[in-house]
Amino acid sequence: MDFEFTRDQLMFKKEIIRFAKKEIVPRIQAFELKKQFDFESFRKLGEFGILGLHFPEAYGGGGADVITTVLAGEALGEAGVDGGLTLAYGAHTFLCADTIFRHGTEAQRRKYIPKLASGEWIGCMGLTEPNAGSDVASMRTTAEKRGDTYVLNGGKIFITNGPIADVAVVYAKTDPEKKHAGISAFIVEKGTKGFSSGPNILKMGVCTSQTSELFFSDCVIPAQNLLGTENEGFNMSLQTVEWDRSALLAPFIGASTYMLNRCVEYAKKREQFGRAIAQFQSIKHKIANIRIFGEAARGLVYRIAWCKDQGRPLNHLEAAVAKLFVGDWSMAPSNDAVVLFGGYGYCHEYDMERIFRDSRLAPIGGGTSDIQKMIISKLI
Amino acid sequence: MNYDFSPQEFDFCIKLHEAMSPYAEEKIEALRSAADLRYHLDQILSLLADTPYLKLGIMPVEGLNGLVTLMSALEAIAAISPSVALSIGHGTHIFGRIIDAWGDVAQKQKWLNPLLSGKLLGAVALCEESLNTDSDALITSGVRNGNWVTVNGHKPHVVNAPIADWIAVAGSLDHRPVLFIIEKENPGVSIRARKRTLGYEGTAMADIRLEGCIVPMDQVIAMGRSDGLSGIRLFENQLLTGLSLGLMKSAFEAAKSHAKTHKSGGKPIIAYQEIGFKLSEMLTLYQTAQLFALRAASSAQTRPREAESLALCAKVFCTEACETVSGEALRILGTAGYEVGKGAERAYRCAKYGQIAGTSTEIARVRIGDQALGLRV
Ligand SMILES: Cc1cc2nc3c(=O)[nH]c(=O)nc-3n(C[C@H](O)[C@H](O)[C@H](O)COP(=O)(O)OP(=O)(O)OC[C@H]3O[C@@H](n4cnc5c(N)ncnc54)[C@H](O)[C@@H]3O)c2cc1C
Repeated sequence: MDFEFTRDQLMFKKEIIRFAKKEIVPRIQAFELKKQFDFESFRKLGEFGILGLHFPEAYGGGGADVITTVLAGEALGEAGVDGGLTLAYGAHTFLCADTIFRHGTEAQRRKYIPKLASGEWIGCMGLTEPNAGSDVASMRTTAEKRGDTYVLNGGKIFITNGPIADVAVVYAKTDPEKKHAGISAFIVEKGTKGFSSGPNILKMGVCTSQTSELFFSDCVIPAQNLLGTENEGFNMSLQTVEWDRSALLAPFIGASTYMLNRCVEYAKKREQFGRAIAQFQSIKHKIANIRIFGEAARGLVYRIAWCKDQGRPLNHLEAAVAKLFVGDWSMAPSNDAVVLFGGYGYCHEYDMERIFRDSRLAPIGGGTSDIQKMIISKLI
Repeated sequence: MNYDFSPQEFDFCIKLHEAMSPYAEEKIEALRSAADLRYHLDQILSLLADTPYLKLGIMPVEGLNGLVTLMSALEAIAAISPSVALSIGHGTHIFGRIIDAWGDVAQKQKWLNPLLSGKLLGAVALCEESLNTDSDALITSGVRNGNWVTVNGHKPHVVNAPIADWIAVAGSLDHRPVLFIIEKENPGVSIRARKRTLGYEGTAMADIRLEGCIVPMDQVIAMGRSDGLSGIRLFENQLLTGLSLGLMKSAFEAAKSHAKTHKSGGKPIIAYQEIGFKLSEMLTLYQTAQLFALRAASSAQTRPREAESLALCAKVFCTEACETVSGEALRILGTAGYEVGKGAERAYRCAKYGQIAGTSTEIARVRIGDQALGLRV
């Protein structure tokens, strides 16, 4: 066993932190307060190579391994990048672009991956529906084959990047009689007749990410927009779980390091009763709790990444454990950070309250904590 | 990076488990006399001496990964007999690591060989009356007289005190921290009555009093400035972390098997979300603790400067997780688990020790905080 990163990986992480602190972090507050997406920062992520890090260079990617890719997500969190932007990046790169890359034809890869890797186009992924959340197999959106086209009807909800996406990977029933075995995945481009998105849904956290409904009303797409094989969509969606349990969780771990550093800074400066609050044991305990969470979670997330690098099939038990731990156990340290900052922790001016709100997504998005418990209890 | 155990490690842990299986905790718990207890441990020590177990963390073993393998091995043994794992942890591993880290060549020759061949059992007496060497100075001290030192002091709650051959006693000499390695039979050493404890009932624990105890200088080990004491604490914290994994394993396995076989309302109770989800949370804590413990052990070998603080984080997490997991296991087991001597009940009682012993949970958090704040290096 060996838990060390390579020197190159660590240097790359440092570079990302430096880049993000300089180019992205100073812009967050303004966009957060307006609950707007920061296109400029997203474009910079593309320029820096983060959006396409793991894709082969031939497709405009960086050719990085999974560990390095996950480390990039951690670095963004550690630099203080908000959960809204890291979620937008996650949905774009892993839920949308990677699905196209993994299951698409060569023509589909050539058409979409370079644009998505550079950030020229923004991608989203539509799986959840108003009446099909945890139980995705009960989705009602249909894709009916008509000649060399498919006709999509139905709707999706809570879709990250929905209002701003240029391209969407959409799951729909091609065999409505069946549950999991009747789902297929399609590429739908913005501007396609019959495809529209709703306004941004206002949320408690990850506010700079734009979330919306997607509507399909007799939306006709060419049959070649089918991804992979018909009725294989559910299995394809499961394959994104590997990224979901590694790259999408990594920013939460990075955020815990960011909180730790901010709390340390603040505790040293803030004086009460004639001394820095850092002197109080209860403050040290809070700082310790934040560190312990980050260190505990790190192993789980990088284990998934390492296994993926080895080309092993996802271990669903380990994946659910990682998601459940980060989801449920990240709450307490972010709460500790808010309390450590006192009244300032409650105000927008200091970003602890934002991280607290952002962390609430961890036990919901990409499969709730209950669903992880369901998976674990079945597998044991 | 590599998250896999080597085939040798796998093989070793499986063989260890098989070898230890006949030595379940019930047997050692029932032994009240020091002689019986020592006889029982001697049998186990001679069996373990045929495996690499006793050497782990002290000397390299081909194909095994030192402290990392030791963590898994501790888990395997503690799941069968926590008391054996604790006694040998103190008596061989901590004692041996002390000699290995700070002993000179002659001292290593004298104690390490018999220790690693299972013929010697040690004890380590660190705490003082206040029980807290992290904040309070050592009172036990020696006065030099030529080639001899006269030691006086009182050491409470020493694991293995009634059964050890040699005791490593932390104290000061010429205002510097040292370890006096004292033979049990040495005049001036008095071992008090074995204590009854909440958990680890098969471990012999007692107070030691040293009154005018004369020790030759070649049985004194200097430990540098003060890092020696925190080094010993680190060894102890690592041991308690490994033990908590074994306790979690036995509590979790007991609860899981009960949940799958015990029926209520015509179906196994695991079919109820309340139970299935509880098991899921327990497994999540257990797996997280396992990985954390292994990573902290690995970093102790690769990045010793960070070892202490990561080991403290792992110790706090694993020992607290242990209490939660064993507590939840008892809820799942219902009255079946409430009976004294059952796996989860025992794990629950032993779990408390992990938080009290070594660097206590509260002090550990302060130290972790201090390190983050740069108040202590
Ligand atoms: C900010 C944000 C971004 C998102 N981005 C995307 C995206 O890009 N693409 C996309 O497709 N989706 C996205 N989602 C949707 C997300 O994946 C779902 O919200 C999530 O899967 C839960 O579904 P639901 O909201 O319908 O809750 P429900 O499934 O209705 O669950 C409600 C409650 O019931 C519990 N529950 C449900 N079933 C069970 C059960 N069997 N046993 C026990 N408890 C159960 C749940 O745990 C939860 O507490 C996003 C959501 C959010 C909040």
